[in-house]
Amino acid sequence: MDTKVPGEEIIVVDNVFKTFPGGVCALSDFSIRVRRKEVLVVIGPSGSGKSTFLRCLNGLEEVDSGSITIDGIPLDENKRNRLEIRKEVGMVFQSFNLFPHLTVLENLNLAQVLVRKKTRRDAAGFSMALLNKVGIPEKANVFPNHLSGGQQQRVAIARALAMMPKVMLFDEATSALDPEMIGEVLAVMKQLAREGMTMVVVTHEMGFAREVSERMVFMEGGRIVEEGPTELFFTDPKEERTRLFLSQVL
Amino acid sequence: MNDKSGRVSCQGGSEQISGMKALSATSGRYSKRSPLVDVAAFLLVIGVLTWITGTGTSKLGYNWQWYRVPQYLFTYEDGKWLAGPLIDGLMVTFEITGASLVLAFSFGLISALCRLSDSYMARMIARAYLEAIRNTPLLVQLFFIYFVLAPIFDLSRFASAVLALSLFEGAYGSEIFRAGIVSIPKGQWEAAHSLGLSAFDTYRRIILPQALRRILPPLTSQAISLVKDSALVSTIAVYDLTMRGREIISETFLAFEIWFTIAAIYLVVTVSLSIVVSRMERRLGETG
Repeated sequence: MDTKVPGEEIIVVDNVFKTFPGGVCALSDFSIRVRRKEVLVVIGPSGSGKSTFLRCLNGLEEVDSGSITIDGIPLDENKRNRLEIRKEVGMVFQSFNLFPHLTVLENLNLAQVLVRKKTRRDAAGFSMALLNKVGIPEKANVFPNHLSGGQQQRVAIARALAMMPKVMLFDEATSALDPEMIGEVLAVMKQLAREGMTMVVVTHEMGFAREVSERMVFMEGGRIVEEGPTELFFTDPKEERTRLFLSQVL
Repeated sequence: MNDKSGRVSCQGGSEQISGMKALSATSGRYSKRSPLVDVAAFLLVIGVLTWITGTGTSKLGYNWQWYRVPQYLFTYEDGKWLAGPLIDGLMVTFEITGASLVLAFSFGLISALCRLSDSYMARMIARAYLEAIRNTPLLVQLFFIYFVLAPIFDLSRFASAVLALSLFEGAYGSEIFRAGIVSIPKGQWEAAHSLGLSAFDTYRRIILPQALRRILPPLTSQAISLVKDSALVSTIAVYDLTMRGREIISETFLAFEIWFTIAAIYLVVTVSLSIVVSRMERRLGETG
C-alpha cells in the first residue's frame, strides 16, 4: 500500500476502567498502544465501548482509573494538560457537530484564532487550503445547514485538521450519512492515512478498514477480544467471537 | 404574509430552498387569502371595541375633558415646544428601564451560569436568589430595598428603583437564559472541547450566540414586563411616567383621561420594542 513506517508510541492507554452512572461498564481493564503514523481501526457490536474509548482519549469522558498518555502528556486532573491534549487530538463525530451560527470558513478559523493564537488572515489562508484538500473550497462562505451530510462531514474533518493535530479520532464518521455520500468522506480519510496521519477509527466500513488500517481491534463488553495486523485479522481471526462478528458484518 | 414571501424572494441560491421550506410550513393556511380580509376583520374588531367603550363610558356619566390633556404632554411657549410633565416622566421611565434592562440581563446571565456550574455553592446561591425573588411581590422587594437597604448602602431613590427592578426581572431572565443554554445540543459542547476551546471561549463563541437567538422572543416579553413593572417605582416617589400622572390627577381630577393617556404611552413604548426585536430576529434568522 505504501512505505510509511509507524514510529514511536504516541497513544498509551493502561488499565483503564470506566463505568457509567447506572452501572454500565464501558471499559474494563482496557490497555492499548498506538504508534505514530499508525491507522488503528476499532470494531465491535454497539455498546461494546468503542466510542467511549475514543472519547476518553481526548477527555470528553473521564476515566475511573487507569492512565492515558498522549504524546508524552498525561491526561489527568490537570486542566492544562487536558487542553494541551485536545489541541493535539482532532475528533470527528458521527453527527458532524458543525457550529450552525458560523460559516464554513468561520468554523475552520475559530480554534486557530482562539487556541493557536493565529491572526485571522493566517487562519483563513490555512482554512482555504484545507477546504481545497477536502474538495469544497466553493462552500467557504456558506452556513453548514446549506450543505449535504457528506459535505458537512468533510468540513468537520477540515475543522479538526485546522488545529494541525498529531492524532485524529473518527467516531463512526460515516454512520449518519446517506450511502451515496459515504464514499466522499472515506476518500478524504484514506488520503489522510496515506499522508501519515495517526488515526484511530471506529467504523462499520470493513472495506475501508481492510484497505487503510495497519491494525484491527475487536471489542466487546469494554474489553479487547482480539487485536492484530489487519490482513491476518480478516483472513485468520483467532477468536470464535471475532469470526462470528465478522461473518455477520462482512 | 407579505413580508414572508418578500423574504424568500430576496434570498438567493441555496438559501432559497430553506426559505421555501419555512414558507411552506406556514403558507398552507394563509397563502390564498387576500390581505383585505385581514384588514376588514381588524376594522370590525376596532369598531366593536369603540362601540363598547362608547356606550360604557356614556352610562358612567363622566365629564370627559380630553382638551385639557395635551398641555401635560407638550406646551408651546415663546416659539419653542416644551416637554410637559408626562413626557418628563417618560424620560425617567426610559432611564430606569434602560439601566434595569442592562443590569437585569447581567443578573440573569450570571445566575443562569451559576445554576449550571459545577460548584455547589454557586448553584445554591443562584437558587436562593431565584426563589426569594420569584416568590415575593415586587412591591415588597422595592420597599425592602428602599427602606432597609438604601439607608445602609446610601442608595438614591433612583438607584433603589433600578436595583429592585433588575433583581426582579433578572430572576425571570435567569430561567430563560438557563433554558436557552441547556437547549443547545451536547455535540456543540463536545465539538468545542475537542478543538481545545476553553470553557469561557466555548460559552462566548459557541453556546451563548446560539442560545441568545433562541431566547430572543421570551427575553422580549420579559423586557416588556420590565417597562410596565417600572410603574411601581412611583410608590417610592421616583418621578416616572406613572408618578407624574398621579400627581396631575390629584391636582385636576382628570383620572380617566390621564390614565388612558399613560396606558397609551406605555403601549407605544412596548409595541415599538417588540417591533425592533422582531426585526432583529428576522435578520439573525437569515444568517443562521
